[in-house]
Amino acid sequence: MYSLCPKTKMQNIFSIRIMKIGTLLVLAVTALNFSSAQSTSSIRDGIFSDAQAARGAEAYSTSCASCHSVDLRGNSNSPSLLGLSFMFIWEGKSLGELYTKMSTEMPTDRPGILTQQTYADILAFILESNEFATGDNDLTSDISVLDEIPITSQ
Amino acid sequence: MTNNLRFSSILKLFVAASSTLVASSTLAQILDYETVTDELLQNPPSGDWLSWRGQQNSWGYSELDQINTENVNKLQLVWSWAMDDTGAGQAAPLIHNGVMFLPGPRGVIQALDAASGDLIWEYRPGITPVVEGSGAVAIGPAQLGDAAMPATAYAGVGRGVQKNIAIYGDMIYAATENASIVGIDVRTGRLAWESATADPALGYFYTAGPIVADGVLVTGITGCGRYKEDVCFITGHDPSTGEELWRTDTVARPGSPGGDSWGDLPLQFRAGSDSWVAGSYDPQTNLVYMGTSQAKPWASAVRGTDGDALYTNSTLALNPQTGEMVWYYQHLPAETHDMDEVFETILIDIGGRPSLFKMGKLGILWQLDRASGEIIKATDIGYQTIVNVNPTSGQVNYRDGMMPRIGQQIDMCPSTSGFKSWRAMSYSPQTSALYIPIALNCELATFGPTEKVLGGGGAGPVRRINYPHPASDDNLGEILVLDVPSGEVKWRYRSRAPINSATLTTAGGLMFAGDWNRNMFAFDAENGDILWQTRVTTSAQGFPISYEVDGRQYVALPAGIGGASWSGMLPRDLAPELKSPRNGNSMNVFALPQN
Repeated sequence: MYSLCPKTKMQNIFSIRIMKIGTLLVLAVTALNFSSAQSTSSIRDGIFSDAQAARGAEAYSTSCASCHSVDLRGNSNSPSLLGLSFMFIWEGKSLGELYTKMSTEMPTDRPGILTQQTYADILAFILESNEFATGDNDLTSDISVLDEIPITSQ
Repeated sequence: MTNNLRFSSILKLFVAASSTLVASSTLAQILDYETVTDELLQNPPSGDWLSWRGQQNSWGYSELDQINTENVNKLQLVWSWAMDDTGAGQAAPLIHNGVMFLPGPRGVIQALDAASGDLIWEYRPGITPVVEGSGAVAIGPAQLGDAAMPATAYAGVGRGVQKNIAIYGDMIYAATENASIVGIDVRTGRLAWESATADPALGYFYTAGPIVADGVLVTGITGCGRYKEDVCFITGHDPSTGEELWRTDTVARPGSPGGDSWGDLPLQFRAGSDSWVAGSYDPQTNLVYMGTSQAKPWASAVRGTDGDALYTNSTLALNPQTGEMVWYYQHLPAETHDMDEVFETILIDIGGRPSLFKMGKLGILWQLDRASGEIIKATDIGYQTIVNVNPTSGQVNYRDGMMPRIGQQIDMCPSTSGFKSWRAMSYSPQTSALYIPIALNCELATFGPTEKVLGGGGAGPVRRINYPHPASDDNLGEILVLDVPSGEVKWRYRSRAPINSATLTTAGGLMFAGDWNRNMFAFDAENGDILWQTRVTTSAQGFPISYEVDGRQYVALPAGIGGASWSGMLPRDLAPELKSPRNGNSMNVFALPQN
C-alpha cells in the first residue's frame, strides 16, 4: 500500500482512504471476535450471568415494576414481559431491538434515564424470567453485539 | 356568589413539639376546621372544591366569576409548588376553607395554604406517624412482603399513581398502591386507619380514590387483569372506622345473574372490569354512578368467549348504603378492542329529566336516564371506525372486518389509546356544553395470546403501529365542545400536542385546559378564543380547579409527567419534534393582580 515513488496529493488521499478502510476492517474483525467471545449469538447459550440478572431484578423493581408489575405480567398500559405474550411481540426480532426500545423509550415518562449497564442488567433479568439459561459472563450493552442475537422461543 | 372566608381567623398554623416524635419533628395543623357534612357536599360554598370534580355531579364547573372573559388576560402566577417526582402526576386537588389538599404520586398528600402556597402538613405513607391512640397500622413491607413496592420505586403509569382523594367529616380519604383505603386526620395529616381490600400480589391496586355518597366511601379498584380465584369489585367503607360495609363484584360470577354472559368460562378466567376512575353521586336518586373498564384479555378471541362479559364497560348505579346494583347499562357488550368506557360520569338534568353523560375511548357520547338506566341518546362524534351505533337504542354492532383475530392485523381508529381518556370533560350550564379532551390517533393492531393459567391473562399483547388520524391534519390534540343534549359541535380547538389535562369551566365564561407541550390556556367557553395562556414546568396534566380565599378567586392548574400513552407513546411516535422534561410535577396557581 506504500508507494516507493514520491507521492502525489491524490496518492496521499488514496493511501489515507486505504488505511481508513484497513482500520475499519481490523475493527470489524475485532468486533466479530469480541462478539463470538462475548456470546455465541444464540439467546439460549447462557449470554448473561446470575449476578447480572439479580442486579437487573433490583433495578426492575424500582424503575419498571409499577407499570409492568412485580411479576412482569404488565397491566393495562404496559405489556407483559413474560412467556407467550412477550414472545408474541418480540419473537423474530433481535435483542438489539429490545435493548434499543428499553434504553430509548423506557421508563415511558423518563426515557433513557438509566445507565447502559443498568438497561443490560434489566434485559438479563427479563431473559432469566423467561427461563433462558444463565452463563458465566454478563450480557453486553453493545448494540452491535445485541443486534446479532435473535429472540427465539425456548 | 362569593363565599367570604375569614381566612386569617379560620386557618392558623399551630406548631408544637410533639413528645412522641423525634426531637427535631414538629407538628403543624389546621385549627378551626369546619367539619364536612353530607349537606356541605351537596351544597358546597362556591369558593370550595369539595369533590374531585367540584361537586357531586362532576361537572368540573366553578360558580366563581371574578376571573372572566374580560379580565382573564391579566392572570398572574401567585404561587407554584413542586410536587414529588416519584411518578406520574395526575392530581385532582380539593379545597376547603382556604386549604388545598393535594394528592401526589406514591400516596403522598399535602395540605397547603391555598392563598400563599405554604405547606401546612404532609402525609407520607409509612413515614408520617399515625394518630396517637388510634391503633392504626400503616400497611407496608411487613404486611406485603415481596408485593411491597420499594420505597425508592418510581411510579409510572400504574401502581403508585394517585388521582383523586375525598374529604368528609374530619378526615381526608385516599386509596393506595397497596390495595387499601386510608383515613387521614384532616387537621394533622396523620393516619387514622388503613383498611386492606385485596392482595396486591394478585395485581390489585388503586389509582382512583374514594367518593363520598350518603356518608359512605365508595371506591373502585383496578389491577384486575390477572387470572385469579376472585373478580374485580367496588367497596363501601365506613368513613369513621374504615370498616368495609359492602363489596359489589363488577364481574358476573358463574351461576349468578348475568353469569352466562361469560360463556362457560370458570371464575378464574373472568378478568378485568376495573373501576379505575372515580364516580359521581346523586342525592336525589340516592345512587352512585361508577364506570367499569373492558374485560381482560382485551380481545374476545383471546378471552375465549364472545359473550357480553357483564358488567364490563358499563355504568353501574349502586345504592351507597348496601352496594346493591340498582341498574346497569353496558355500553359495549362483548367489547374486543380495548375500548374502555370507565371514565367520568356527568350528571345533568335535561328538560327536567335526570340524565347522565359519559364518553369512552370510541368517542361515543352516551346520555342515560340516571334514575332508570335507560338509554336516551348515543352520539358518535364521528372519528371511530370500529362500530356502528344506533343513536336511539344505543345498540352497537361491529363493522365488517373489525373483529380482531389472534395474530391478524386490523386497521382501527382510535388506537388502543382511545379518543377519550381519564382526562375528564367538564360541563358549563352557561353554554349547555361539554368540553372534552380528545386525542386523535389510529393504529394498526395485531392482538396476541396470553397464558390461560392462574396468574396469567392480563390485557394481552398487541403489536402496535400508531398513525395519525386521517381527519386530524397531523394534530394529536383536540378540545371538542358538544352542545347537550343535541350533540352538535359547538366549536373545536386542535393542537399538534395532545390535550393533556382535564377541562375546567367557570361562571366567568371560561374554560381552562392544557396540552402536553406545557401550555395552559383559558378559552372563551362560548367560541373557543384563547384569552390567556402560559407555559409551565412540564406537561399540563391532572384536574384543574378554581376556588376562592378571602374574596380572591384562584385557578389551580396541575402539571405532571407520566399519564400513559397520551403523554408518552403518542407524542413520541407521532409528534417526535415536541420534547417534554422528565420531571416537573407541579401545582400552578393563578389569580388577578391585587390593586
